[in-house]
Amino acid sequence: MKRDAFLSTLLGLACVAAWETAVRLGNTSPLVLPAPSVVAHTLWQGLSNGYLWPHIVHTLTEVVLGLWLGASMGFLGGVVLGESARWRSVLMPYVVISQVVPKLALAPLFIVWFGFGTLPTVVMTALICFFPLLENTITCMQQVDANQLALFRMLRASRWQTLWRLKLPVGLAHIMAGLRVAVVLAWVGAVVGEFISASRGLGALIIAAQGSMDTPLMFAVLTVITVLGLAFYQLCEWLERHLLGTSSELSTRTPS
Amino acid sequence: MNFLQLNGLHFAYPERDEVVHDVRLQLAPGEIHGLIGRSGCGKTTVLKLAAGLLTPQQGQVQLQGQHVQQPTAEMGFVFQAPTLLNWLTVLDNVLLPLSLHGHVTDSQRAYGLALLDQVGLSAHSNDKPHQLSGGQQSRVAIARALITRPAVLFMDEPFAALDAITREELQRDFLALCHTQGTAVLFVTHDIGEAVYLADQVSLMHAGRLHAAYPIGLPRPRQTAMRYTPAFNALCEQLRHAMDTTL
Repeated sequence: MKRDAFLSTLLGLACVAAWETAVRLGNTSPLVLPAPSVVAHTLWQGLSNGYLWPHIVHTLTEVVLGLWLGASMGFLGGVVLGESARWRSVLMPYVVISQVVPKLALAPLFIVWFGFGTLPTVVMTALICFFPLLENTITCMQQVDANQLALFRMLRASRWQTLWRLKLPVGLAHIMAGLRVAVVLAWVGAVVGEFISASRGLGALIIAAQGSMDTPLMFAVLTVITVLGLAFYQLCEWLERHLLGTSSELSTRTPS
Repeated sequence: MNFLQLNGLHFAYPERDEVVHDVRLQLAPGEIHGLIGRSGCGKTTVLKLAAGLLTPQQGQVQLQGQHVQQPTAEMGFVFQAPTLLNWLTVLDNVLLPLSLHGHVTDSQRAYGLALLDQVGLSAHSNDKPHQLSGGQQSRVAIARALITRPAVLFMDEPFAALDAITREELQRDFLALCHTQGTAVLFVTHDIGEAVYLADQVSLMHAGRLHAAYPIGLPRPRQTAMRYTPAFNALCEQLRHAMDTTL
């Protein structure tokens, strides 16, 4: 494992070195492709003089709010629809319709409804994060082993106990997989939302950098987004490990 | 006195033919009764009807004179698969029937450990189920079913997936536990030897109907060595013959 991590890091460094060399040897204009050293310099400047921080905080707030709103609604919706076949048959077609509509196409409408700024971006991020949690929660609640359900009936467990002590623990791995997808999509939602409807935030900064043809700044912002996205993903994996115990337990089911 | 009575049970799954026809059965307190038959003959359905997991379309189940409409606190059920919860420790799995209905007391916890000791798993009480072998998981499932000291235990081929030696050991330990607690048992199997070894009476089942019950006159406690005696083999042969002729 350690060796693999080392090789992986080596590969990344080799790519960056190749990029740097190609740009220097080819005399490529920084307007088209800045060298990694130029990007690093811009990034360091932006962080040290405080220019990037308000934008980072702004986007981070939108991602956290959107993710929290979308993921919690998706999870709760998944539990309700997973528990009730009737609600599922009545509501599911509309949920699917709401999800096949491209969310980004709704952005102009959100601007009309919610104005410019944080709110339309948070709503869009929440909408994007909603479906993976909903879908995975519904699916995992349908996949509980029939014998385990019979066991809980035999033990005279209430519906709430069956949900809380059987269905959710069984489905936790699935639910967390949905959260991992939502965490990645949240950044897409927030950044693209800012492209369209914001004057602050990392997405807005990319558009501003494009307008002033400041390509190194675009790369610097992309780097920030990537690092933050990665940090969120790692946090999610840590939470998953914490909730599920070791991964070997996760993959082991009672043999039948 | 009849302790458990199945009175003329009929049952059909939705959009399927009737799988249980007019099943009548009586169990005395502490009696161990085996249902034997080929796969698909309706044995498991009878077991689920008796436990209140299914509701008969006709007839009724009575336990200690009470009409059974759903599972009660006096019942335990051992499924064919151990159906343990992988995120709980072995001891917490055993204590599940108690923890669902309130705080587990120290004496209940001690009893759980004692049961695990009796099934030879006291060293594994803090392990997770995936760390156990199939036979050990079956032992945990039996301890879990007995933790509430049920008056009657229903078992659906709980030893079917085990190798021959593990099965024999587990059957021996299981009989000892039931004897200690005075538990009545209704179990399903397709193994004639298992039926003879465990049961006081064996009923043959075929195509949803229950045929005559055969008393098993072997002395208790049953010893593993009994399996190789002429009396045991004669009973197996008698059952086999009955199956061939009636089924």
